[in-house]
Amino acid sequence: MEKLLAARLHAVKVRPYLAAALFALHVVEDRSVPTMAVDPHWRCYVSPGFVARTPVEELAGVWVHEVSHLLRDHHGRGERYAREHEEHRPGERGTAAGWGRLRRNIAADFEINDDIYGDGLPLPSGAVLPSLLRLPAGLLMEEYLRTASMSGLTADLAWLDCGSGADGQIRPWELGPDGAHGLSRQQRDAVRFRVAEGIRGRPGSAPDGWRRWADEAFHPPQPWRQLLGAAVRSAAGAAGVGEDHSFRRPSRRSAGVPGVLLPSLRRTPPRVCVVIDTSGSVSDAELGGALLEVAAIAQAVGGRRDLVSVISCDAAAGVAVPLCRAENIALIGGGGTDLRSGFDRALRSRPRPDVIVALTDGQTPWPSAQPSCRTVVGLFPRPARAVDEEDPDYVPDAPPPWARVVTIG
Amino acid sequence: MPAPAAGTPALTRAGTSGTGTQLALADDLLTLLRTTTTEPRPDEQLEALTLAVAADLPVLLWGEPGIGKTAALTQLATSLDLPLTTVIASVHEPSDFSGLPIVGDDPAVQGVPMAPPQWAVELVRAGRGLLFLDELSTATPAVQAALLRVVLERKVGALQLPPGVRIVAAANPRASAADGWELSPPLANRFVHLYWVHDREVVVRGLGGVWPRAELPRLVPERLPEAVAFARRAVCGFLEARPTLIHRLPNTETRRGGAWPSPRSWEAALTLLAFGTAASVSRDVLAQLVRGAVGDGPGLELLAHLDRMDLPDPESLLADPPSAELPVRGDLRQAALEAVVAAVGARPERKRWEAGWAVLVRALETGAPDLLVAPATVLAALRRDDWEVPEAVERLAGVIGLARRADRSVGRAAASAGAGRAAGAGR
Repeated sequence: MEKLLAARLHAVKVRPYLAAALFALHVVEDRSVPTMAVDPHWRCYVSPGFVARTPVEELAGVWVHEVSHLLRDHHGRGERYAREHEEHRPGERGTAAGWGRLRRNIAADFEINDDIYGDGLPLPSGAVLPSLLRLPAGLLMEEYLRTASMSGLTADLAWLDCGSGADGQIRPWELGPDGAHGLSRQQRDAVRFRVAEGIRGRPGSAPDGWRRWADEAFHPPQPWRQLLGAAVRSAAGAAGVGEDHSFRRPSRRSAGVPGVLLPSLRRTPPRVCVVIDTSGSVSDAELGGALLEVAAIAQAVGGRRDLVSVISCDAAAGVAVPLCRAENIALIGGGGTDLRSGFDRALRSRPRPDVIVALTDGQTPWPSAQPSCRTVVGLFPRPARAVDEEDPDYVPDAPPPWARVVTIG
Repeated sequence: MPAPAAGTPALTRAGTSGTGTQLALADDLLTLLRTTTTEPRPDEQLEALTLAVAADLPVLLWGEPGIGKTAALTQLATSLDLPLTTVIASVHEPSDFSGLPIVGDDPAVQGVPMAPPQWAVELVRAGRGLLFLDELSTATPAVQAALLRVVLERKVGALQLPPGVRIVAAANPRASAADGWELSPPLANRFVHLYWVHDREVVVRGLGGVWPRAELPRLVPERLPEAVAFARRAVCGFLEARPTLIHRLPNTETRRGGAWPSPRSWEAALTLLAFGTAASVSRDVLAQLVRGAVGDGPGLELLAHLDRMDLPDPESLLADPPSAELPVRGDLRQAALEAVVAAVGARPERKRWEAGWAVLVRALETGAPDLLVAPATVLAALRRDDWEVPEAVERLAGVIGLARRADRSVGRAAASAGAGRAAGAGR
């Protein structure tokens, strides 16, 4: 026991931002556990034999490993994955369910092990790494599950078991939700939140993987397609354009209710103008993918291809090309970026657009005043420290507050 | 649930013609299918909804279509003994909510009255009821705009809804909404957002014939003053410590349309805390409500603040160390010990310093020793030259040994890091 606690102290010392989570774990000694395991109620089951034969510094790594399963919600994600992708029959103790469990455990271990070790925390012997299957590091559990079959690993890893905290499958030794010293969902959220806040408060000391986790723990990024779609839809569907009620002609129901004025439903499809940043910093693949999405969304909104036009813009803007005429629009450009000319051009085109959708990497000056129509900016993500060699102090302006900004990809 | 609609008495049972018998049999089958029983089952979602409705705050239920939002509302209305009026927003016109203009004899003199629809008139006549605005997400923007006035000012046309009417709305999440509906920040701020999810077990058991019957929270009359005092103390104490959270507009696309903190939503959170305390609901229900009112981040911080409020007072721990009751959970226990050490540091006197050690000894007797390392180090550093080390410290020797062992392990790990990097990467 003392060895185990010394290992926890070691872990707290080298990963101070995980202290709250490590101390919140309740230790349960159990001889039927292969090594160390966690359950979703934040209990940590430990085999005394495993502690006895493992050096303190490796135990510290195991502590961080197990708490990572809980912090990253692997049981919830594992269960969700199993429900969506696998035949999930909890009653059956057959090989298929066991294999699914093991796969999820291994994928979760990959996600954890490729970024928590080093820097005072040695890799425990027997820890699995994605390089074992020649997979790239830095992916998420779901991505590993999707891309890899993981066959060929089973023979020597069948003992690997991090408990239901890692994959959502209940084990015989676990105390379950009613057992003593479990954390309720609210308490678990509170601990995870406190750890995330701690990491975000001191961004320098935590590695990238943990920082990314902290940013996304309570605000998981929504798929950008849906966000972009919602933004374009709501811009195009807002008052003034799109389907709406009007008193311009009385409703046909009016005949039945003499003396009452009823509005009728009229549809005014919006004009969408897509301004595309074709400067050298935006890759062709990015542009192609995003343009297809926008065209599809705009068609779904307006229903008419002739209402969607496209302007390619680097430092100077091209001409607005209606989508209906161009089967293959040539995106001209490749130089520096100044989207202001693109916005100018879009607003000067006749008839005036109701919605401007700008696709850019954000390395551009923005119009100083709000354009007279709704604006959606689709932003290709760029690393934060993109330094201009000629002018190292140059920081591109963030998209202005009047635009709806959706980060793509 | 509609009563099995048997056509005419002649048709049921011993029918006369062939088709009559078939229909009667179909009715019998339907009656059998609709005969279900209920079992008591705690339901946090329903508890949260009940409390928010009781607190007279407009609730917005987010949930995929077809997961039983309406069924929950029906149950709620029955148990609160309120008549339920369901209005499906998407099949109405804006004028159904803002009032239908009616041209009279002389509009210039009398004006054009805005006539309210029948459901509103009936609600006013009843004086009380549960107004359920369903399918908010598929209504046209103009209908949504008209609905704002119903939700915010409780006015339908020229008609003022009586205070006994409670309002609940339902919407599909943005990802699955078919059109561009989303709440503007001012409107989102007035709702308590509850996310409705279905429970696999409940659905399976329900289709098997046993639906859950939730025990709804009841306000306890004796606890009302205490609940108000607690809620005020919690929210005010928290906002004093974190003034930046009083007002924070949502700034990213993903957070649009959800709850965000403002003085108004903090007031809602305070109300909900008071109701939750008076009804003695669990922290989980409270968490759903508070997060639904002020948003996830501020809500979780307020809940963490509540946790800290539950910690024992450091001064009373120092006053009587041998009988000190420390929290069982490790992180809370450490927080309590750190508070004790901080209290000693704030007013360092020899007596208090020794009491601090006594509290640590007490903690050693009742829990894991590794929690004591950080507080003990800080407390040791507070020593003045003329203070003698109390005897109690010797009992903490094991803790110091533990800390040394951890230190040695950190040292070993650092030493082997360079050598082991190449070798360890293989496995």
